Amino acid sequence: MSNNVSFKEIFKRGAVLYNPVLVQLVGLCPVIAASTTFLQAAMLSATMCVELVAISVLASLFFRNLPRWIRMSLYLLTGLAIVCPVLYYLETYSLAEISLGMKIYLPLTAINSVVAVHCEQVAVKSDMKLAFYDALASGIGISAIFLITGAVREILGRATFAGVAVNIPVTLKGMTLPFGCLILLGFLAAGLKAVSAKMSPVDFETEEEAKAEEVFESEEAVSEIEEKAKEDFGFLGSSDADLGDFLKSLGIDLPEEEGGEQ
Amino acid sequence: MKMVSDLLITALFTVFVQNLVLNSGLGMSEAIRVSTKPGMFGKFAAMISGFSVVTSVICSLLNTVIGFGAMPFAGKAAVYGGILAAVYILICVILKLIFRVTDKFLGTLGIAALNTLVFAVPFINDSAAYSFADSIGSGLGAGIAFVLAAALISKGSAALDKNENIPEAFRGTPAMLVYVGLLSLAFAGFADSSLFM
Repeated sequence: MSNNVSFKEIFKRGAVLYNPVLVQLVGLCPVIAASTTFLQAAMLSATMCVELVAISVLASLFFRNLPRWIRMSLYLLTGLAIVCPVLYYLETYSLAEISLGMKIYLPLTAINSVVAVHCEQVAVKSDMKLAFYDALASGIGISAIFLITGAVREILGRATFAGVAVNIPVTLKGMTLPFGCLILLGFLAAGLKAVSAKMSPVDFETEEEAKAEEVFESEEAVSEIEEKAKEDFGFLGSSDADLGDFLKSLGIDLPEEEGGEQ
Repeated sequence: MKMVSDLLITALFTVFVQNLVLNSGLGMSEAIRVSTKPGMFGKFAAMISGFSVVTSVICSLLNTVIGFGAMPFAGKAAVYGGILAAVYILICVILKLIFRVTDKFLGTLGIAALNTLVFAVPFINDSAAYSFADSIGSGLGAGIAFVLAAALISKGSAALDKNENIPEAFRGTPAMLVYVGLLSLAFAGFADSSLFM
């Protein structure tokens, strides 16, 4: 396993070019459903970031030799061990009353797909430093999307920002509903794609080829896609596979996964 | 008879009105991923419904235990999560030891069992004060809602892939997100949500 990967490079790819929410389409649930206000989004993003980093480091250190089906349960239980005390504190000691939605979505972050994907694709296959860097970069990428969507939805949907009234001519209640967030995410993803094309044209082509379904692809079909992508672009294009391929391109050896899916 | 009708009404409500995937975003990432594999819809519907029903039933029975209802929400979350993890591990052990299933299958089972949709069902049952029959209906409805969402996304994304009029920056993931947003808007209409203040 290689340690010669700079945080800057991992950050550029993990947080921006392959943003977990906008490109890999993982971790959508809490963003769509619970980032209706800026403060709520900030609280959820901080919790998810801590969770992702902690579970990734633990996975890299202790979980890698366990069967995948046991690891997946451990991600949930470790996530709950982090989230439940936070929830208890908010419930018992926080002066601000937390909404029922927030109460439900906070524990749901413990089972988020972003944790499973990053732990399975990176953490259990690399050393602790790389797992930490990857989780931190992805956590920052998710947090940025949380904060942007939280701010835009609160301003347009409630005419407030962090609880302070903002003077806008019309409020769109739809922005506080999931569809408002999904459409906003679509526009953010298009913006990111345009920026990515300028920042790194090669990676942009990779994303053009990206298909999230490779996760469920049979091994034969994956090989076919891989061969075709290699012929066309010199690399494999797939959202989850990109992540692994990106690490491979940086000299990190990724052994074959026993389960073959995620 | 009343139990069956309650179960069916709750299942229909969960699928078409409350649609937990499109109206609440639960299991959205998994639905988008599964939408690219129509052959797996049935398998996922069965797995999600199965896990949702089993965890719902156990959590629903727990809610009747004196003192559990008064437990802080954080405690309930820990118990519900523990139950889901225990059910998943137990089923994996049974499938592995008795039916000799592959690790690959158990990985797919993990995606179906350990996701936000399945985990959210006991919370929703608790907050809506669902009866035992309602809880089973809600669990069944979660699986069907998931497949309905995945099928709608699948159809739409196939059409989007063929459309050459989509601007370059919107092709692929961005167009898919906007499309799923419009689907969600339609279900918001079923749920009688108002769009303007």
